[in-house]
Amino acid sequence: MPATGAAKPEAETARAETDSQSRLQTPAGAGGGPRPLADGRQAKTIETRDVNLFYGDFQAVAGVTMTVEPNKVTALIGSSGCGKTTFLRSLNRMHELTAGARVEGEIALDGQDVYARGVDPVAVRRLVGMVFQQPNPFPTMSIYDNVAAGLNLNSGRMKKAEKDEVVERSLRGAHLWEEVKDRLDRPGSSLSGGQQQRLCIARAIAVEPEVLLMDEPCSALDPVATLAIEDLIGELKSKYTIAIVTHNMQQASRASDITAFFNLEETGKPGRLVEIGPTEKIFTSPSQQATEDYVSGRFG
Amino acid sequence: MTTGVRVEYQEELERLEASALGGLDMVSAALSRTLEAIEHQDVELAQVVVADDDRIDGRYLEVHQALITLLATQSPVATDLRLISALLHVLKNVERMGDQCVNVCKLIPLTGNEPPADEEMVKMILAMGSQTKALISQAKRAFADRDVELARDLVVQDDAVDVLNRECFRHALQIGDDADRREWAMTMLLAARAIERIGDNAVDIGEQVAFVVTGLFREFEDASHPSA
Repeated sequence: MPATGAAKPEAETARAETDSQSRLQTPAGAGGGPRPLADGRQAKTIETRDVNLFYGDFQAVAGVTMTVEPNKVTALIGSSGCGKTTFLRSLNRMHELTAGARVEGEIALDGQDVYARGVDPVAVRRLVGMVFQQPNPFPTMSIYDNVAAGLNLNSGRMKKAEKDEVVERSLRGAHLWEEVKDRLDRPGSSLSGGQQQRLCIARAIAVEPEVLLMDEPCSALDPVATLAIEDLIGELKSKYTIAIVTHNMQQASRASDITAFFNLEETGKPGRLVEIGPTEKIFTSPSQQATEDYVSGRFG
Repeated sequence: MTTGVRVEYQEELERLEASALGGLDMVSAALSRTLEAIEHQDVELAQVVVADDDRIDGRYLEVHQALITLLATQSPVATDLRLISALLHVLKNVERMGDQCVNVCKLIPLTGNEPPADEEMVKMILAMGSQTKALISQAKRAFADRDVELARDLVVQDDAVDVLNRECFRHALQIGDDADRREWAMTMLLAARAIERIGDNAVDIGEQVAFVVTGLFREFEDASHPSA
């Protein structure tokens, strides 16, 4: 259940569940364009239960049971190879895009199993958007078309005026509108790294996802651009559920509400969730020694 | 012994802890001289204590600055962060304890050159001082060993100081009608009060030990809401 807001009337709850289910099962591009952002819309909860992730015979992640809470930023931290990015990618069914990859366990979006039979993975990825480590705008596409790309894929035909509105709203939401409003026809690659990453965030939120996953979104950015993205993350959480993988522990402590620490006992063993809790607790008095050693930089 | 990565940072933190706790040895030495100055009405020795307080203040400034630098440059978290926070408190307590010794020593010239008006009251103050020195030593040991039980025991040991302080007060009330004796007794009460505060500072350090170990800050005794 979302942590905020009063209980909804039963009829409304039923409608919301039906809506969420139908969004999961709607094949990509089969109409049902993005809904206007309704103020007061509730972000979604992701719950995982005993998730095990494999690349062929190699088990990368073992037994992860955790909740990504709505309207909060959850940071996934841990040393390289501990499985945090693999876990993140499993939340929107991107893990299975790798040959030989498979998933065991349950991953539910507001109670709906995203791996259930009949669920369209493309629909899952529309509800659970992803921002990657390297800003990856389509280089030859204009800034406008970069943002509209997801709309074109997901919504079929959309009136120009309507699309203009979504592009502007998304660029404003990504704190980029004022910087690019006079050059929307320029290529996305003409922007700075930080602007490109905000463009990618605008592209991700244009299709109105319910969850945003971010895989080290600032690792290729300078400190000023990094802080701009962190500020943006802080604002986006009022509308979305956010999970972010980061190697930057200060970023985790600055930008997240909840921190999950992943670790692997030794090379070749699967990564496990060691501890999850309020960020301030993880960084002031974690309950596990392994967490203490990692956040203190005493590992290795 | 420090192992693994960030060795220099860990060694610097260990050095600063030793330096901050070393401040307690300086306070203990200042208190010893203060008690000796009280016992013998030694104005010169009292002046040495006042002048020497600059060394305690210097220790405060030096370690405080180095801890701030560690905060700014090393981003300490978890136990390290709690330790640094606690050391900043300990330093403040060390500095306050030193100042209390100065307060007492500044009173000594006011007690005149005559023998003490009341030997009994002097004995009580010396006993308070002796017990307070033991508290300082215990606080240091509890901190260095991260011994929460020893830290909690400071409250019990401090009770003895408080009892003697109240005893001094009752004694002063009955010191008689002679104006000089009454003035002497009032001055000694101020000294007793200052020593009693040093004991409280030692208990405060014990609370920081519990914070470093458990991550929770709780006053061992709530002066604003004492239990019945």
